[in-house]
Amino acid sequence: MAMTRKFPGPSKLLGSPFAWLFALFSVAVAVWMLLTSLKSTRAIFAEPWSLPTTPQWDNYARAWTASDFAGATLNTVILVFGTAVATIALSAPAAYALSRILTRWNSGITAFFALGLGIPSQVIILPLYVMMNELYLVDSLTGLWILYVATSMPFTVFFLTGFFGSLPKELEEAAALDGASANRTFWQIMLPLARSGIITAMILNIIQHWGETLFGLVFLQSEEKATLSLALLGFLQRMQYNGADWGGLFAGVCTVVLPVLACYIWLGRRIIEGMTLGSVK
Amino acid sequence: MTATAVRETEPAQRQPAAPAAQSSPLARGRKRLFWPFIAPALVLYVVFYILPTLATAWISLNKWAGAGPMEFAGLDNYRRLLLDPVFQGSFANTLTILFAVGGATFALSFLLTMILRDMAGRKAVRAIIFFPNIISGIVLSILWGFLFQAEGVVNQALRAFGMDDPPNWLGTENLFSVIMIGLVWVQTGFFTTILMAAVDRIPKDLYEVCDLEGANAWQRFRHVTLPLMWDVVGVCAVLWSISAIKIFEFIYAFAGAAGQLPPTKVWNTALYAYAEAFASGVPKYGSAAATGMVMLALVGVLVVLLRRLFRRDTVQF
Repeated sequence: MAMTRKFPGPSKLLGSPFAWLFALFSVAVAVWMLLTSLKSTRAIFAEPWSLPTTPQWDNYARAWTASDFAGATLNTVILVFGTAVATIALSAPAAYALSRILTRWNSGITAFFALGLGIPSQVIILPLYVMMNELYLVDSLTGLWILYVATSMPFTVFFLTGFFGSLPKELEEAAALDGASANRTFWQIMLPLARSGIITAMILNIIQHWGETLFGLVFLQSEEKATLSLALLGFLQRMQYNGADWGGLFAGVCTVVLPVLACYIWLGRRIIEGMTLGSVK
Repeated sequence: MTATAVRETEPAQRQPAAPAAQSSPLARGRKRLFWPFIAPALVLYVVFYILPTLATAWISLNKWAGAGPMEFAGLDNYRRLLLDPVFQGSFANTLTILFAVGGATFALSFLLTMILRDMAGRKAVRAIIFFPNIISGIVLSILWGFLFQAEGVVNQALRAFGMDDPPNWLGTENLFSVIMIGLVWVQTGFFTTILMAAVDRIPKDLYEVCDLEGANAWQRFRHVTLPLMWDVVGVCAVLWSISAIKIFEFIYAFAGAAGQLPPTKVWNTALYAYAEAFASGVPKYGSAAATGMVMLALVGVLVVLLRRLFRRDTVQF
């Protein structure tokens, strides 16, 4: 019995505080980010941990108007939701077919899609640039939207194939017995049944593109088309000429982070499980 | 495939609509939908993913500025990469991220998994440490860099503890270490979450047996936990390799301190590929493409090696 007691002793004593410290560090960074966004640049360095004496809402006003975070937010919202909807519209039927209509092609095509998960964006970006340039789709939000949807295919098809495969077959079979065509069965039975998986796939897609940088950086040029991460980078760049405006920068950072944080507080469990569960099963 | 086939025939005995009933009109109706359902996604994937990959393989064998004539160069681009000290440094950094950051992340994730296994508040801790994973790399990089500013929070804390002359964290000699620590901070939550889910599946009575036998913490981990989650560790290793090679934003945004791109000392191959094509005077598509192919080859080699390393009969429980 002595041994049994001995184990939880030291490991609990040191373990839990360590885990909490690790977590508290992230919380502290988030809190400090919020505080900083409401302070003047002088106060940020003079008293990094104190509450702002008078909240500098002006930081947000500056970021939103002078650096046009408002426009960037609008661009990003349209782009990201458009991407999620189109991605689901294209990949849900494919995933359904791959998991439920058995032909000799299924496992091959599923593996073929999974292959894309291992191809880094840097590998495909050059030919894509040449291609989009030929089509006059460089520096165009439509062009970026097409690229986002296309590059979402591997993960979303892969994710939804697994999800459709886990759904019960009975309802579908009953619908078929009642004389519903396969097409109708998909739209009226399977899609509503798969709602939770589809919503999860959409959320993951939105989160992934909300802060996407590489494609935006390469394919967008003019300032009025900038997405949020490009607006942040632009702000950083301008600070080198116009002097440090850390308060404004952090107001911009909060503009990017707070919607994600709200979404995470609301749907956290779904996001965590969506991003990790496939690995365990 | 055989496993699926066996499962499919079972309901077929009850209902004719099951796919195994090849001849039924319903099954044929479904089969007709296969290609129309798959085609849009497949075409998009092939046109925007597979063909560009093949095109990059071809570009990597040419000298090309992105427009105008291509000049076939054979393996010249690869040879030039091998001789370019900046590429050597970038490649070394990619490997350092893969193994050093990966090693630290996995060690920390295992440790946290074991601590959180039976800790009060584990769900809250998990939710918090996972959060940085869904934040854009640019934002994380800005936050992380700002913590380490000369007058930043880290140095103020160090001064408070009596260190009069804290290091210049964002100087070229320290920047890569700062980046690596930041990557560990961001990634640990993700792998801890996956490992926790794997550990949760291990039956509790196995640990009770350990306690009865008087096994210590390390023995429990080595002989019970690790073998029973081995396959998941393998998946994590593959996921890490792929995502580690792709890391770009977190390093790129450190340029904020110094100009268009961060100092070459902290580049990895992803940054090198970007810089060659889009940020140098004359675009060097050939060597950028060759860098891309090196990254792809690295992913391929690692995935094959890891699958071999982790391939063994999973313990049934």
